[in-house]
Amino acid sequence: MKITYNWLKEFLDGSDNYSPQDIAYKLTMSGTEVKKLEYVGEKYKDIVIAQIISFVKHPNADKLSICKVNTGKEILNIVCGAKNFKVNDIVALALEGAKIGDFIIKKSKIRGEFSEGMMCSEKELGLSPESDGILILEGDYILGESFAGQTGLDDWVFEIEVTPNRPDCLSVVGIAREISAVTELNLRYPEYENYNNAAADDKFKIEIKDFKLCPRYSAKIFSNISKSKTPFWIRNRLAICDIRSIDLVVDLTNYVMLEVGQPLHAFDVDLLATNKIIIRPALANESILAIDGTTRMLDENTIVIADEKGPVAIAGIMGGKNTEINDNTKNVFLESANFNGPSIMKTSKKIGLRSEASNRFEKKIDPHLTITAIKRFEELLKHITGQKFDNGIYDNYLEVNRERLINLRYNKIKQTLGIDIKDKVVSQILEKLGIKNKINEDYISALVPSFRFEDLEREIDLIEEIARIYGFENIAACELESKFRQGKYTYNQKTIEDIRLALVNSGFNEVINYSFIGLKEFKFFRLDEENEFKNYIKIFNPLNEDFEILRTLLLQSLIDDMKNNIVKKINDLKIFEISKIFLKNDLDKNGLPIEITKLAVLISGRSNLKSWNSNERFFDFYDLKGILEYLFEKFKSKNGLFISNNEYKFFHPAISGNINFDDEAIGIIGKIHPRLTNILDIKQDVFYFELNLDRFIKKSKKEKKFNSIPQFPSISIDLAIVIDDDTTSKDIEDEIYRNGGKTLRNLRLFDFYKGKQIEEGKKSLAYSLEFGADDRTLKDVEVEIISKRIIENLSKKFGAKLRQ
Amino acid sequence: MEEKINSLKNELDEVFLSFIKDKNEVKSLFDLDLLESKYLGKKSFIAQTLKNINDFPQQIKPLVGKTVNETRKKIEDDIKLLRDDFTKVEYDKKLREEKFDLTLPGRTLTYGSKNIISQVIEEIQEIFIGLGYEIAEGPEVETDYYNFEALNHPPDHPARSLHDTFFISENILLRTHTSPVQIRYMEKHKLPVYIIAPGKVYRKDYDVTHTPMFTQIEGLAVDKNINFGNLKWTLETLAHSVFGKDRKVRFRPHYFPFTEPSAEVDVSCNICGGDGCRVCSGTGWLEILGAGMVDPNLYKFVNYDPETVNGFAFGMGVERIAMLKYGIDDLRLFFENDIRFLKQF
Ligand SMILES: [Zn+2]
Repeated sequence: MKITYNWLKEFLDGSDNYSPQDIAYKLTMSGTEVKKLEYVGEKYKDIVIAQIISFVKHPNADKLSICKVNTGKEILNIVCGAKNFKVNDIVALALEGAKIGDFIIKKSKIRGEFSEGMMCSEKELGLSPESDGILILEGDYILGESFAGQTGLDDWVFEIEVTPNRPDCLSVVGIAREISAVTELNLRYPEYENYNNAAADDKFKIEIKDFKLCPRYSAKIFSNISKSKTPFWIRNRLAICDIRSIDLVVDLTNYVMLEVGQPLHAFDVDLLATNKIIIRPALANESILAIDGTTRMLDENTIVIADEKGPVAIAGIMGGKNTEINDNTKNVFLESANFNGPSIMKTSKKIGLRSEASNRFEKKIDPHLTITAIKRFEELLKHITGQKFDNGIYDNYLEVNRERLINLRYNKIKQTLGIDIKDKVVSQILEKLGIKNKINEDYISALVPSFRFEDLEREIDLIEEIARIYGFENIAACELESKFRQGKYTYNQKTIEDIRLALVNSGFNEVINYSFIGLKEFKFFRLDEENEFKNYIKIFNPLNEDFEILRTLLLQSLIDDMKNNIVKKINDLKIFEISKIFLKNDLDKNGLPIEITKLAVLISGRSNLKSWNSNERFFDFYDLKGILEYLFEKFKSKNGLFISNNEYKFFHPAISGNINFDDEAIGIIGKIHPRLTNILDIKQDVFYFELNLDRFIKKSKKEKKFNSIPQFPSISIDLAIVIDDDTTSKDIEDEIYRNGGKTLRNLRLFDFYKGKQIEEGKKSLAYSLEFGADDRTLKDVEVEIISKRIIENLSKKFGAKLRQ
Repeated sequence: MEEKINSLKNELDEVFLSFIKDKNEVKSLFDLDLLESKYLGKKSFIAQTLKNINDFPQQIKPLVGKTVNETRKKIEDDIKLLRDDFTKVEYDKKLREEKFDLTLPGRTLTYGSKNIISQVIEEIQEIFIGLGYEIAEGPEVETDYYNFEALNHPPDHPARSLHDTFFISENILLRTHTSPVQIRYMEKHKLPVYIIAPGKVYRKDYDVTHTPMFTQIEGLAVDKNINFGNLKWTLETLAHSVFGKDRKVRFRPHYFPFTEPSAEVDVSCNICGGDGCRVCSGTGWLEILGAGMVDPNLYKFVNYDPETVNGFAFGMGVERIAMLKYGIDDLRLFFENDIRFLKQF
């Protein structure tokens, strides 16, 4: 919300002078944050009031005139392109040095004629989005005085953030009240002494169908309003507050809304069907052509203002086109009403229309404001047109008690804030906020007024008021002892942190992606065809189609990351993500999904660049498997890990499997299907695994236990065999371990061969085996016996032949 | 028998003394070879004694062997050292001729990087673990009850419109803040409660200063005798340890539905030093978090006694802290995962 310094001063009395900066600071530190403070007049430096005394056509340019302009001190020569002026017109003249937008005025020659400044249009002055010719000022102005000073622009503008609990602050008067609470200034609440309180006639009927939807509807008819322009200073104030000038009546409704906080709406009386206004819920299938020119469909949840033919306005949100104030309007029906906040909020959300008015109604404004606003409107109109409007106000109001008595205990203040504060100080603070109160022995009884009825309900609400006006900076920081507590990570958190660190230390970069993906992407990866991943959660109101569902697999996001990097010519990637995936769970009683923390690891591109002392090498599947083994060895044991074949649609059919840990599948591993990478224009192999961290950690609680270091030396032998290609190395290793027994300390595959040197359909594996015993040095003979047994069994079970 | 040993020892001492004398006369590698053969060669006293060890009585044979070998070892070591003295110069001269470029680059070890978000979370977790807090967690997909209702946002509450919520169904949504963890934790634990809860949160907002997902850290301390002064101390401690002791910290009254009184916390702008600049939009202050005393209403939802229990809560945006701390000027960088961005931290 924007309001100005001079406007605020109209509602504050007191001899002390507070600068705009003082006011901004005091407001911010008492909870009404001033986001920005700007001097409006800054833009109008070196622009003065001047009068055109004569002009002639430019000798060298048909469209230009040469004017003599009086600045009160001197007569200047000004070349001007506009046509809308005449002799004696008062104008805004930018002198040398003035800044118009980004352009600095200089004395110069225009088509051979000397020009000493520029006469400005409203657009050039930033007061209107469009303008036709230069600004001609109407009324009394002093020549030579600064333009800003003479037109209400010598002012400061505050950009204020009002919190949603303070609808009373959505006005100049409300902010002035806040200022009075934190300064020596007093609030001067507007009074309209000369107001004629005559009762309204019964020519016009107002009917409220449901007082819950509309607690109060006040209105007044202003007849035969004489045509007048909105005074320049009012238009300028509205412009500063980002409100466009329309015509006098509409401008005044906006002005009064900003000033007292009550939205007003003006209808052309003569365009209403009959002399009756009904406030009611809309009927199903009813519609209205709104002021913005679009037809809006309405429903039973929308409150409308209707005449006897149909809706003439969507209550609190937007008026109707057909009853709008226009050039021919003579008689105005001014509505000043109070509508139900939640219904206005729902409707404005549904229609997608938020206005200054709806924003105020949503937050539940004080119904007492309706009359004040009408009176203020009348006062301004009277002042501008010189007319009198002696008819009365229609007021339909089911009055409810809007005062509340709260007892505020001193010990509760101390308990919450940690400060001792005198009862007199508390009382004074409440007084300044407009809360009448009485000091008692242990408590203060406070009477909350109507304008704070919505947000001051309980003792704690008053404690907050005390705290913010007393000043947070006046409450001392006080150490909170922690010596009897011990902070710690849980085992889960600690392990995840360790896994993250292990990966980072092996050269991986951690990525974090949005939890959403598009359904299109989901289907592209054919996750809808995979039982494990197909049960996604759909977002009811997604941002757009790329954010439609929650991830059931992290894969797509990492592929996206990869693509984004490849576009930037970064092709070699080692990335990982630790995030949750979400699966629909029909069993949860609240309907919440299953959330599983996953570790996703992706490698692609080169593991080694060509260097003066090493060769280029590309990542392969076994680099990826190595990472997995490294994690298993670090956090549990490598022996528990087993990769089994399982075809996933997004993986290369031959390089696709499950990660098993002690016979439970806890992840997937493979090479991304070349079909997918081709379509995605990724011209390199991509290897990926995804691990269920919740399961992995649960199973991986590694007991740290000391094992004595072998004292007796090992004996190593090499074993090279040829077997069928279908036999897995895991089969062979399991068999070797089975025969090696306790003495087999280690096994390492040091060669793998498939090719011309051996029979087709066969492969050769060469192992280095290391034997040893804990209690003695093994004899060669013993090792020979064991290795003979290994060879025999390998040949018996797998047809293995020793390779010579 | 002891005599025999003693006389052997004397003889060995003499041999060693004589060795030392001869050693001082050695002038060349040739001399050294002669010296070696004289004292360790086949005909030397030491070799002969070991060769004829069987002449000694059986019981003292091990002792004889040990005694002789001790002297032999001493002589051997001296000869080795002396030989190195003679050969070193020649050796170095030869090695020096192998030119070697020490300035060629080493073999590359590529380093990885922990995501900046993880790093900031970790830093803040460590601070609070030091203050005796535990780390709590909660689901990212939440019920309306935990995300709003139990946090004092009844249906129709205007503050709900501050959160542009992603809904799954009427009652299920993506949490808009980490605050539901407060309720979930208090439901399951008795006093005292000292937790922080980091995690992802979601709001339907996507522009230069908003992403539909971001990261928050929630804090909650509930105990007997906790007041606003304690809140100030805790958050000042946090701000000083994250941003530096020299930064000023201020508390401004604000509004959150589930705390009362509520505050926003600012640190002084390090770019302009408090005079006002573009980064702090002229105020000299940078907002870092929201906080407040837990609204007593919340205690009713978790069966604590609002009359005797007090506490405070706070929440901050991790990306915002990272941006302020490291001068990152574009929020979108956090989720683009450009390796050149990731590697900087
Ligand atoms: Zn600054």
